Formats: sequence, structure tokens, C-alpha cells
Amino acid sequence: MKHKFLVFFAMFFASLALFIWQAPQVHADKTYTIGTDVTFPPFVYANSNNKYVGIDMELIRSIAKEEGFKVNIKPLGFNAAVQSLSSGQIDGVIAGMTITNERKQTLDFSTPYYESGIVMAVAKNSKISNLKDLKGKTVAVKTGTQGATYANSIKNKYGFKVVTFDDSDNVYNDVKTGNSAACFDDSAVLNYGVKTGLGLKIVTKPTDIGQYGFAVKKGQNQKLLKMFNAGLAKLKKNGKYDQIIKKYTGKKATSKTNKSNSEDRTFLGLLKQNGQAITNGIVETLKLTVVSIICATIFGILIGLLGVLPNKFARGLSTTIVYIFRGLPLLVLALFIYNGIPSLTGTKIPAFVAGIITLTLNEGAYTAAFVKGGIEAVDSGQMEAARSLGLPFGKAMRKVILPQGIRIMIPSFINQFIITLKDTSILSIIGILELTQTGKIIIARNLEGFKVWAIIAIIYLVIITVLTLLSNWIERRING
Amino acid sequence: MTNLKVDVTNLNKNYGDNHVLKGIDFKVASNEVVVLIGPSGSGKSTLLRCLNRLEEPTSGSIIIDGQDISNSKTNIDKARENIGMVFQHFNLFNNLTVGQNVELAPTELGKISKDKAAQQAKKLLATVGLADKYNAKPQSLSGGQKQRVAIARALAMNPDIMLFDEPTSALDPEMVGDVLEVMKKLAKNGMTMVVVTHEMGFAKEMADRVVFMADGVVVEEGTPEEVFDHPQNDRTQAFLEKVINV
Ligand SMILES: Nc1ncnc2c1ncn2[C@@H]1O[C@H](COP(=O)(O)OP(=O)(O)OP(=O)(O)O)[C@@H](O)[C@H]1O
Ligand SMILES: [Mg+2]
Repeated sequence: MKHKFLVFFAMFFASLALFIWQAPQVHADKTYTIGTDVTFPPFVYANSNNKYVGIDMELIRSIAKEEGFKVNIKPLGFNAAVQSLSSGQIDGVIAGMTITNERKQTLDFSTPYYESGIVMAVAKNSKISNLKDLKGKTVAVKTGTQGATYANSIKNKYGFKVVTFDDSDNVYNDVKTGNSAACFDDSAVLNYGVKTGLGLKIVTKPTDIGQYGFAVKKGQNQKLLKMFNAGLAKLKKNGKYDQIIKKYTGKKATSKTNKSNSEDRTFLGLLKQNGQAITNGIVETLKLTVVSIICATIFGILIGLLGVLPNKFARGLSTTIVYIFRGLPLLVLALFIYNGIPSLTGTKIPAFVAGIITLTLNEGAYTAAFVKGGIEAVDSGQMEAARSLGLPFGKAMRKVILPQGIRIMIPSFINQFIITLKDTSILSIIGILELTQTGKIIIARNLEGFKVWAIIAIIYLVIITVLTLLSNWIERRING
Repeated sequence: MTNLKVDVTNLNKNYGDNHVLKGIDFKVASNEVVVLIGPSGSGKSTLLRCLNRLEEPTSGSIIIDGQDISNSKTNIDKARENIGMVFQHFNLFNNLTVGQNVELAPTELGKISKDKAAQQAKKLLATVGLADKYNAKPQSLSGGQKQRVAIARALAMNPDIMLFDEPTSALDPEMVGDVLEVMKKLAKNGMTMVVVTHEMGFAKEMADRVVFMADGVVVEEGTPEEVFDHPQNDRTQAFLEKVINV
């Protein structure tokens, strides 16, 4: 029994490893994976059909067409995109990224494709009109942006505090609600926002002029970089470049978006416009949930059983695994697996697979803990009686201990299933387009934070209700 | 001494610094009924549990039916099939019915077919007076009934020797008689038995030999008359006075 068990254990990991190893081979040779941040209009955002559009998107697509390669756009968020680039998970980043000396240490930039400065925006009714008014106040910025760097460089001089957010939407909201007195952001970005009814006003002239560039990892993908530069030059020559810039920053752009502003903004209207995106998000969330519940349950039971074997090494291994993966924050684990491991091994891990591994390890560790606990909660006299009759350990376990232990574990299993579903939302950090990430992207476009999050929250509750009913039904069948 | 069922020589057991069994010599002949008595903590349960290696002895030799139990190369599962054990708290398998409790080990270990096992279980339950409880759940039984099922379960493996660790201490007084009755029947049928008990009546009536243990050593042993009526050792005397006064 013990041996069979170990063999099964080894097979589980072998197949998992095979799964991970094979996955990268799906990537075709001429397709480049480009990371971006789709909450950065007018450079990158999702339009009402949930297509990724904006200056950066049109540029990279037009250049790809000119130069004859394909792009696969990954909506990762700015920070995750840069990290994924340095770990080799993706080939390039185009996300309104300013070329700085610091970034040049680790990245190679294209020729600049846009020039932009930092401006300060305040709430519409705010009396703050220049930097001096910020004394003692708080200023909101988005992590990793040039606006953030600028704010930090002058905060001591003008005596304000800086708070950072991951999404532009949260930055603007913080200013609107009055938590922060002002925000610093790229002038094109803020201009776009103000014109689409952001509820903020711009009070300074652009300063700290910077240039935007497309980036690859230092020394890598030089061919891609060359093609980008060549393509950009062609677009500038044939007028396509000016066309794109005008489309997103000219008068037309704002009037067009004003129209989208008068879209139906009721709950029903929002649901209708984003129905397809939300459905896709739900499907992705369900896929992640189901696959991770299955993997985490198998993994958890194996590790839990390992923890009750009459073998010191097995028990120590089990305890260690539980200790590590229960102790690591899910977010850290996800980033470590998606970004950390590939930068060490050089093998890409698809986000979905990385997400499943993350949840399997984390939820599996919790499962292992209560599987072990459930078995240990069975009176030790039961095992002694079974062994005294001559039943070997494995048989006693299967016929006497486990049937009683599982009954003790069932409520914990149901609980863990629900937690797994909720934890899939954390995987939005590695750019998986599940329900939460879908919500973020929709909000980046229409800035209807309250309504969209309410819709997303209700969907989660509905799924959790269904999952609970299903689990209770299974529980009744087992106990019945 | 070829008919020795149990032959324990110089058995020692330590729990950390706690020296619980201190060089025990303990023999049981075939068909013999031995009653183990002694104060709480003297090591009676530990000795009993070493006999089927539910506890690992620290040193010494334990030979049962000619087989060296203390040798780690011995197939202990096989050896245990021959050594029935009855616990103070019954330890019936809570997930199984009474019938399944009795049938589990013989069928799982491939001793007999399912049908035969069911027949045998019914017969054994009848001999312990519980023919009508075949389909009952352990939770629905009284303590005395549970203990009789536990005895039937141990007998289903057809053991040569039965170990009892205070089989009646957890029972209401009115239940004790039924269980002792079953044990007496077993003894009369020639079962080799080692019984830890505080039931002095049972010891006087059924024991071939009484062994008194204190502080991890065998202090005194002999026939019930010798030990109960003419104890040689002060500690035996003191113990018996206490027990008989209760
Ligand atoms: N698993 C164990 N770990 C540590 N010490 C133990 C363990 N089992 C028993 N002991 C100790 O061994 C000694 C003998 O215990 P044992 O249970 O054999 O006594 P006993 O004679 O059966 O007593 P009682 O009449 O109370 O059942 C006691 O001091 C007890 O505390
Ligand atoms: Mg005891």
C-alpha cells in the first residue's frame, strides 16, 4: 500500500511536470507575445467590444503587418508586464512606457514613438492650482509610471505625501473622493480622461517631458526590436503614424468617446454592452476553479495521507510542504511561479498553467492540513483495533479510518472549494482574463467602478451559491 | 516446556526516561487463563500491548507460539491474526454495522469467502447472545453489547490466544455479568487467555494463575488461592486490601 501510494504520488508530479513542459511548445515561431496594460487610455484600453485599442495597440499591429510578424497581446498590467518581460515570459512590452536610464539597465528600447509630459490634475471643484498648494496633502499616482517617479522626486520639496495604486481608475477615484488632493499622470492620458468625463481638471503645463518606447529584455529579441524600428519609420513616412495619433488625441477622438459616454449606463445597459466579455470572464473563472479544485484535492489528499504514514520522512515532507505553501501569500506564490521560475529556468509557463499550479499548491496545502487533521481526529483506538486483527496499515486506513475521517473532512472540503473559487480572482495579477480582471478592464474604459464591481460581486455570489448547493447535495449522498 | 503459548524473557520498555517495564519474565501455557492485576500505572496494559506489538518493546524477547514477536523481521500482521485483543473501550468500527465489524478482517485478509464470513459472524454473534444485532450500528448498542461484539470480532480470526485489557472497566455494573459470562465460556472451551482486570470474582473462579505487577516488575504470582488468601509480599497485601474494600 505504502509503495503503491508513493508510485501514484510520483506519477502525479511527473504528469504535472510534463504538462508544464509541453505547454510552451504551443507558441509558434513567428508570433511574439507582447505584454501591455489595458487600463491606460488613450495608449491602451479595451473598447466597448472588448478589443484592445489605443495608440500603442494600433502601432504595434500596424508595424507587425508591415514587417510580417504576428502579435499576441497579453493584458498584464504595467508592473506584471515589465516583470514578465525580464523573466522571459513575454517578448516585448508596449504600454506607454517612458524611456529612462534606470529602465535601460535591464531593457532595450526602440526609437521613441511618442513624446509626452507629466501634468497635475485635481477634482473639478478643487481650489488647488499649483504645486505649492500641495503642502501637507496627499497625491495619488499609478505604480511604476513616470508620474509616480516625478511625484516622488518633488515630494520633499513641496511637502506632500504619495500614495500609489495599481490602476488608473483607482488613482482618479482617490482624487475625486478627496482622499488625495491631486494626481500626476501623463498629459495624453489625463487629457483623454478629462474629455471623457472623468470629473477632474488639469491645472499645470506638461513638465518632465519623456519619450515612450517599445521595450524588449536587454540583449534579447533584437530582431523584434529592429523590425519595430523599421516599421515605425515606415509608418511615420507613409502618414499612418500621424493618422493613429490624431485618431486618439485629436478633437474627433474625444467627440467619439463622448458618444460612448452617452451609452446606456444602467446596470442592464452595462451588462448588455459587456455581456460577451463578462461571459468569457465567467467561463475562465469556472475553468480555473474546476481544474484547480480537482488538482488541489488530489494533491491535498496525497500530502495529507503522507502526513499520517508511519514513517518519519514522509511525515516531515508533508509538514514541510504544508508549511511552505500555506505560509506563502497566494499573490507572492503566483508571481513567483509565473515570473520567478521562468527567469531561472528560461522556460515559459503559460499564465493559465501557472495559475493552476499556484492554486493547486496553495489550496492543496490547506486541503492536506485538514485531511491530516480529519484522519487524526478519528479515535486512535480504531486503528489499534484494526491492526490487532492483523489488518495491514493500508487496509486499516482504507476500510476503517478514511471512511470516518472523510465525514469529518466534508465541511472543510466544501469550504475549501468556495475559497478556491474566490482565490481565482487573485490570478488577475498574472494577466489571466478571469472575472476580476475582466471587471478591471471594463472599468478602465467606462470608469463605472461602483456598478461594474457590483455586477462582478453578484456573479461571484451566484456561482458560490451554485457551488454550495452542489457540495451540499454531494455531502448528503455521501452521508446518506 | 514445549506447550508454552507466551514466553516473555527480560522485557524492558521505556517511554523516554520513564522505565515502565523492568525486565519482565512472563510465561503462559497452552489453554491457561492468566489474570494480571496490579495498581494503576504498574505497566499491565503496556505488557499486554507488547505481546502483539501495539507497543514496541525496548529490549527483551517475546515468543508467541514459537514465533519471535520482538524480531522486526517477523511479519507482525500475520502473527496478530493469531492473537485476539479486546480493549477497555471496545473500539468497534463506527463506520460499519455489527455484522461487518465481525466480517471485516476475515474477508479482507482472504481467510474465508463473504458468504462463509456472514455465516460465521451470525454464529459468533449468537454465542455472545447478540444474534438479533447483526444489522445494527455500533452506536445503537449498550456498552455491554459493544464489548460482546468486540469479543466476537476478535474470535472471527480464530485466534489461539486472547488478550483482554480491562474489558469490563468501562461498563455499567449491570452489564459486567454478561461480558464475564462470555469470557467464562471461552475459558471453559480451552482458550488461552491473558486478562487484565479488577474483577476479583472472575479471577478467583476462572484463573489458573494470578500475576501481581507493581512498578514494572512481577512482584508475585501463583494460583488464586495462593495470591488472594496467602499473599507473600507486603505490596500484594496492601493492594488486595484496597481492592477488596472497594
Ligand atoms: N504512550 C505512552 N507514552 C508515555 N508514557 C506511557 C504511555 N503509555 C503508558 N505510559 C506510562 O507507562 C506507565 C504504565 O502504564 P500502563 O498503561 O501500562 O499502566 P496500567 O498498569 O495499565 O495502568 P491502569 O490500571 O491505569 O490501566 C504509566 O506510568 C504511564 O504513564
Ligand atoms: Mg491499563
